[in-house]
Amino acid sequence: MRGRIFEALQARMADDPSIFFVTGDMGINLVEPIEECYPERYLNVGIAEQNMIGVAAGLCNAGFRPVVYTIGNFLVHRCFEQIRDDIALHGYPVLLIGTSAGYDNAPLGPTHHVIDDWGAIRNLPGIDVYAPASVEFAASVLDRVLSANRPAYIRVAKGSATIPGSDDLVVDRPGSGSGPLLVSYGALAGECLKAQELMPELSVLILNKIHPVDMAALAPRFGAHDRAIVVEDHFGHSGLYSSLCQAVMESGVDCRIESAAPPLGFDLVVGASAATYLLRGGLDAAGILRRATAESSVREEARHGYR
Amino acid sequence: MTADTASPPAPAFRRELPDPTSVRRTVLEMLYRSRASHLGSSMSLIEILIAIYGACDVDAIRARQPGRDRVFVSKGHGAAATYATMYHFGLISGDDIATYHLDGSLLAGHVSHVVPGVEHSTGALGHGLPVAVGTAIGLASAHFDDALVFCVLGDGEIQEGSVWEALLLASHHRLRRLIPVVDNNHISSITQTSKVIDMAPLGDRFRGFGFAVHEVDGHDVAAIGEAIEIIRHQDGPSVIIADTIKGKGVPFAEGQPVWHYRSLDDKSFTAAMEALSGGSL
Repeated sequence: MRGRIFEALQARMADDPSIFFVTGDMGINLVEPIEECYPERYLNVGIAEQNMIGVAAGLCNAGFRPVVYTIGNFLVHRCFEQIRDDIALHGYPVLLIGTSAGYDNAPLGPTHHVIDDWGAIRNLPGIDVYAPASVEFAASVLDRVLSANRPAYIRVAKGSATIPGSDDLVVDRPGSGSGPLLVSYGALAGECLKAQELMPELSVLILNKIHPVDMAALAPRFGAHDRAIVVEDHFGHSGLYSSLCQAVMESGVDCRIESAAPPLGFDLVVGASAATYLLRGGLDAAGILRRATAESSVREEARHGYR
Repeated sequence: MTADTASPPAPAFRRELPDPTSVRRTVLEMLYRSRASHLGSSMSLIEILIAIYGACDVDAIRARQPGRDRVFVSKGHGAAATYATMYHFGLISGDDIATYHLDGSLLAGHVSHVVPGVEHSTGALGHGLPVAVGTAIGLASAHFDDALVFCVLGDGEIQEGSVWEALLLASHHRLRRLIPVVDNNHISSITQTSKVIDMAPLGDRFRGFGFAVHEVDGHDVAAIGEAIEIIRHQDGPSVIIADTIKGKGVPFAEGQPVWHYRSLDDKSFTAAMEALSGGSL
């Protein structure tokens, strides 16, 4: 996923002399070609993320379009005030790329679990949030963001999931029957598609852009189902579950929204891989299937994380 | 003035500079009219800002030319002093100045980028220098080699860690056009900085980070201007530490932490204006 984005970035930098790449000393075996090809538009600020965001704002002041790269937790949590005051307040078109979304860094522990990042970002005015579910969308996301000329955050997971025909903002995979609608993004979109393979009457809606939600476009999809389950590797209360609850209610669509998300808390017990955490949270394909077929009381328990 | 280098060239101010007393009177009128605070921190800044804007191509700032000099006031609570100085340099109109801190104005109590001529909104401390460093790096990359990038910091503000992150990067890249200026008024928010985190000897801290240090009387416009002209011709990172008095020019406020917060009433405003009437500053 990251490789596709960097390929696109390098190509874009060749055509657009305003793009300036900034890293917080991350991206080994990815950033080197950029440093080599464009040394005057490459900057490693070191382990100093607060400064990195301010520097990016300053680069905007000098006429550049910075692309800022580091792990999502360092990027968002450490720099929240800088993102708020120096980027959002000024409307600077800084592109933030945060990696290791969800449980990508599983055994490294809760400081490196990125499950509460974009919920913070979405509380700031004017920042678009993208979460590529596939290499197909990853290849095109940079052009979309740079064309929009607005502040943006791309939440990037590891891996190289391939979903043919998934290079649009919304990817619709209708099911064969009247089963619930699974709504997801990023790495968990793949789990939803696996669940659909096992139960074809499930429908899947993948959002490659997760904020702001274009409810006018999505309303017909929700209107076709009486249940939608939002599957995400981010706390539901500040994630897509939360924003869809609001958007669906405001749109007047009659669809019950349920959450399949990590329980609100820090998981201190090591999981050797992201799969372990998905299994624990019922966020793997089998767990998603259980929720999709559960009776309402069981669904309530699952929704509140009482497992 | 003490400096790390010798043989300063003559100051190269391009215009007649505003009288600090006049700027202080403007600040008092602004603060009194709106019952605003931050008198102390504004009064310590006046000569620093006059010297900085005096060293800048103000017409290029007004025209927002890409290669213009930049002034970042990182201690954003010095808004009244910033706007008053900009007014005396013709960057803000008298009509606008009269609205400071009042309903419907764009001139808030912290420096705002919606005001033409202001580079960046500040208020949360420790933000301005990273932005100034990024601007200096960007200007160098774009080959605007003559533009100066000033950043005014409070001596309380430099307790913020982000300031030192920015200094490290500026030093590593030897940013010769970046000029951090510390308004060293010895008081932070509620008390003397020496009682909270004693930064003395402050110059040595900057030297340890690779900066040439120019320690000047922060109420001597010529001395600050002279330091700026030395730095303009230097090839390496430099900082100006301007020793100042918080509340300078208002006797009852000088050195008194409470005047970070207190606003002027009729009696104190009259007393402050009378103290400035002699023009002895």
